[in-house]
Amino acid sequence: MHADFPETDPEALERLRRFGGDKLLGDMVVLFLEALPRRLASARAGLGRGECHAVEHELHALKSSAAQLGALRMHRLSQEGELLAKAGTLDGLARILNDLDAEEPRVREWLTAACTRESA
Amino acid sequence: MTLIAVVEDNADNRLLLHALLGGDYDIVEYENGTDALAGLHTARPDVVLLDISLPGMDGNEILDHIRADEDLRSLPVIALTAHAMMGDREKYLAAGFDDYVTKPIVDETILMEAIERGLERRR
Repeated sequence: MHADFPETDPEALERLRRFGGDKLLGDMVVLFLEALPRRLASARAGLGRGECHAVEHELHALKSSAAQLGALRMHRLSQEGELLAKAGTLDGLARILNDLDAEEPRVREWLTAACTRESA
Repeated sequence: MTLIAVVEDNADNRLLLHALLGGDYDIVEYENGTDALAGLHTARPDVVLLDISLPGMDGNEILDHIRADEDLRSLPVIALTAHAMMGDREKYLAAGFDDYVTKPIVDETILMEAIERGLERRR
């Protein structure tokens, strides 16, 4: 695996294939990647308004989906941000959102490649 | 056929639950608490899978409404949540959930067994 790739869990993708075949995996990836930029933008907007609850909600949802799809680093970053937001600590959230923004294209590339391999 | 109500705002999670449960159960889905509380009266499910972090009313508030409703209060309600820190299980069971299953779903038998326990309570 390329050193720049995110920390990922290929077993999570195998598990989803076992649950529902390539179609489930592909459909879940599509839904996740569609929602991903919206969730990050919404979290950043919440941070801009100083609304910790909005940030917490978006990062919690992102944490859950990222874990199910094996995007481990995105999961950990989301969890870290969720806990900060839950504690009402806005300091540090901007850095985490920056890290998540940087993580997005890597996760997108990894999941897209995984689905392409499945359908090949 | 047994009917499972899924209250979950994440579309990818709803898709996963449909894949896991759709072969064995009928499923009715709600994306938020308002729709769920209105729909449960009509749908009359056998078990409810209830996410905690939802827009608007959260899962705890929805559960409170269910338990306060004479028609719904006996429904088995399973917390299906990514809140999986130490003590969360006890917290949600103490709040009145019948069972607690964490996301991500790694071992589907844990979910299936929780549903079966809920159905046993219903019988």
